[in-house]
Amino acid sequence: MTENQTETGSNAADSASGSLDIGGLAGVFGTSDHKNIGRLYIFFGLFGGMLALILNILVRFERASIGSVGILDFGSSNQFFQTWSLSRTSLLFFCVLPLLIGLATYLVPLQVGAPSLSFPRAAALAFWAWLIGILIHVVTVFADGGLGEPNPTSQFAQGMDPEATELSILSIGMVVLALLVGTVCVIATIISQRPQGMTLFELPLFSWSMLVAGSIWILALPIWLSNLAISWVDFLGADALRYGAVENIWGQLSWLWSQPMIFAFAIPVLGIAGDIIPVSSGVTQRQYRIQQIAIGAMGALSFGAFAQPFFNPDVADQAVFVTMGILVLVPILVFMGGLADTSIRGNLSFSAHLVLSVVGMLALLVAAAASAFHVSGPAIGAIQEINDSWLDGLITWLRDVHGTVMATAVMEHVLIASVIGVVAGLYYWSPKIFGYQLNRNVGALSAITLLGGLVLSGGSNIINGILDEGDEVFNSSAYEGVWDTDAVEFFNIIGAIGGVLLLAGIGLVVLDLTISVILRKGNSENANDPWGGHTLEWSTDSPPPSGNFSDAPVVDNERPLLFPAVTGGDDQ
Amino acid sequence: MNMTTTNLPAAPPARSRNILVAVGFGIAAVLMYFGGLFGVYLRERSQVRSVGGSWIPEKAQIELTPPGMIIWTLLISVAVMQWAVYSIKRDDRQHALLAVGTTLAMGAMVLVQHGWQLSQMNLVADEGPTTAATLIYTIVGSYMVAFIIGMIFVALMGFRALAGQYSSRQTDGIVAASLYWYSLVFIYFIIWIAVFIAK
Repeated sequence: MTENQTETGSNAADSASGSLDIGGLAGVFGTSDHKNIGRLYIFFGLFGGMLALILNILVRFERASIGSVGILDFGSSNQFFQTWSLSRTSLLFFCVLPLLIGLATYLVPLQVGAPSLSFPRAAALAFWAWLIGILIHVVTVFADGGLGEPNPTSQFAQGMDPEATELSILSIGMVVLALLVGTVCVIATIISQRPQGMTLFELPLFSWSMLVAGSIWILALPIWLSNLAISWVDFLGADALRYGAVENIWGQLSWLWSQPMIFAFAIPVLGIAGDIIPVSSGVTQRQYRIQQIAIGAMGALSFGAFAQPFFNPDVADQAVFVTMGILVLVPILVFMGGLADTSIRGNLSFSAHLVLSVVGMLALLVAAAASAFHVSGPAIGAIQEINDSWLDGLITWLRDVHGTVMATAVMEHVLIASVIGVVAGLYYWSPKIFGYQLNRNVGALSAITLLGGLVLSGGSNIINGILDEGDEVFNSSAYEGVWDTDAVEFFNIIGAIGGVLLLAGIGLVVLDLTISVILRKGNSENANDPWGGHTLEWSTDSPPPSGNFSDAPVVDNERPLLFPAVTGGDDQ
Repeated sequence: MNMTTTNLPAAPPARSRNILVAVGFGIAAVLMYFGGLFGVYLRERSQVRSVGGSWIPEKAQIELTPPGMIIWTLLISVAVMQWAVYSIKRDDRQHALLAVGTTLAMGAMVLVQHGWQLSQMNLVADEGPTTAATLIYTIVGSYMVAFIIGMIFVALMGFRALAGQYSSRQTDGIVAASLYWYSLVFIYFIIWIAVFIAK
C-alpha cells in the first residue's frame, strides 16, 4: 500500500452513497478518509472553543466586583491561573488550530484536485493523539496541574500537584506535536498532489493561505516545543533551577499568544475571505498575485519566535519587533482593498458566509491596529530622539500600555477572527462538507452575535489596557497602578457579557449544524455547487465520493471552473 | 457514480513526491526545535560567562573522546547511507540493504556511546550552580530521541526496499531517510562544536 491509498472499504461505501453517513463507530474510529478526519476536527474544535470561552467568562467575572463583593472567587492564585492559562491554551490548541487544520484537511485535497490527503493514516493518528492530548491536559489542569503559577509562595504552594503539572506539560507537548503532524499532511498535499498545470500561483487562496500559515507553524511551533522540553527537564528535578520553576514556566511559553506570533494563526482567515467574496460578488478576483503576496507578507511578518521576553526582556524596544507589530497592518489592508475592489465591481449577494467573512476580516483589522498601537511607544521614541521632547508624555503613556491587557485584546481579536473565519468557511463549504446548506438567517444572527461579543469582550480589554490593567497576573496585583479601578471592573463585567455573546455565537453555529446536518433539516438542493464556485472543490459531488474526482483535472489558472484549461483564462 | 468533472480534461498520472516533501518539512521542524535549544543554551552560557562565572560545574567531567568517536561514526555513516541511495538507484537491492543495515549498526553504536558518555559526565540536572546540566541533558536527550526516530525511519524504509517497494524507478523512501539521517549528523556536528568542544 502506498502513502496515498486512503479509503477503507467502509469509507468508500459511504462516499459512494453521497450521504453524510460516516460508517458508525467503526467509521469514526477507523477512518483514514480526509473528509471524516476533517469533520472530526471541526466537531471537536467547536466544543474546544466553547470550553475556552466559558473559561474566559470565568476569568472576566473574577476580575469584577459588585460593590465590594467579588463576583467570583477562585480561592487561590493557583486555581485562577489554571483557569486563565487553560482559557488561552484551549482557545489556540483546542479550537483555532484544530478548526483551521480540520477545514484544511477536508478542503485542501478537493481544492487542489487530489484524490486524498497525503499520509492519511498519519493524519488520523495526529487527530486521535490531539484529542487524547487535550483530554489529558484538561484533566491534569483540573487535578491541580497546569503550566505553572506566576506568584507562588513556594514551589508547590497552594495545592499544585507536581505529577499533574508534569503530565500537563507533556500532554500539551503531545497536542502541539499532533497538530504539527496534521499540518505537514496538509502542506505535503498542497505541494505534491497538485494536478497538472496548477502551479503554486494557481492555488485557491484558502489553500495558499494554509501553505503560508502551515509553513510558519512548522517553523515556529518546534521552537515553542523546545521551550517546553527545557521546562520539563528542569521540572523533573527535586528543585527546579530556573526553567522548570513554576513561576517561570508560563513566561517561557507566552510568546505564542503575543504579537507578532499570534497573527500566524489568523492567516487562513484571509484565504477563506479571499475564496468567499469573489464568488459572492459573482466576479473574479483582480490582482490575484497581489492577494497572494499579501498573504505571504502576513506570514513573514508573523514569525515571532525571536520575541521571547523571558530570554530577551528588551524585545519590546527592539526595532524588528516594533516594525513587525506595525507593518502587519499593511498586508491586511492591501488584502481588504483587493476584496473591496472585487465587491464594488461585482454584485454582492447576501449570504451568511459573506457577512461572517467580512466580520472576520474586520476583527483581524482591529487586531492589527491594536497591535500597531501596542508596540508604537518605542517607534515614537525613536522619532523623539531625532528632534523634539513634546512627545514625552505620549511615549510614557504608550510604553505603559505594554504589559497590560492590551496584549490580551490583540490576542483575543486575532483568535476570535480566526474562529469567525472558520465559521464563515463552514457556512460557505457546508454543502460540500455535509451535503446540506446551513441556515442563512442563523448564520447571519451568529455573525451579529460574534461581532457584538468581540466588540464588548475585546473592546473592553482595549479600554482596560489604556486604563493600565495588568496582564498575566493574579487579581491582587492586576489593579496596581490602574487609573480607575471601578472603571476597570465595570469594563470587565462588560467583557464577561461579551464573552457570553461569543459563546452564544458559537452555540448558534453548533445548533445550526445539529438541526441542518445531523437532523437533516438543511437544504440539500443543488448541493454540488450552490454558489457558482470558481475552484475545483465545486466540480465534484457533495459530499465527494471516494477518490474525490473521477480523473485528475488539468488546470492552468486559479479559477478552473470559470476558465477551463482548454480555453485558458484571463488575468483580471 | 455520478461525477461532474467531465468538463475538465484528465491529466496523465504523475509520480507523487509526498514523502520527500513531508520529510523536508519534518527536517525543518527538527532543525527549528534544536535551533531553539541552541539559542537558549548559547544565550544562557554567554550571560554566565559575561559576569565571570563558570558555565560547566567544576565537578563535571566532559571528556572529548566519546563525542569525537560519535562524530566520526556519524560522518562515516553519511557515506554508508549514501551508498544505500547509490545502490537503490541502480537496482542493487542487496548492497542497498547491506548499507542500510550497516547504517543502523552504526546508529546503535552512537546510542551506546551517548549512554556511556552521559553516565560518565557526573552532571546532575538540578544541582547548579548554573543551568548547564539541565540544558545539556535537554539537548542530548532530545537528540537521542530524534536519533531513535531516525533509526526507525531508516529501518522502515529498508524493510520497504526489501519488499520491493523501492527501486531505480522509485527511490523516494530511501532518499528521504537519508536526508533525515544527514540532518541528524548536521545537528550533532553543532552539538559537538557548541556543547562539547566550546564548553
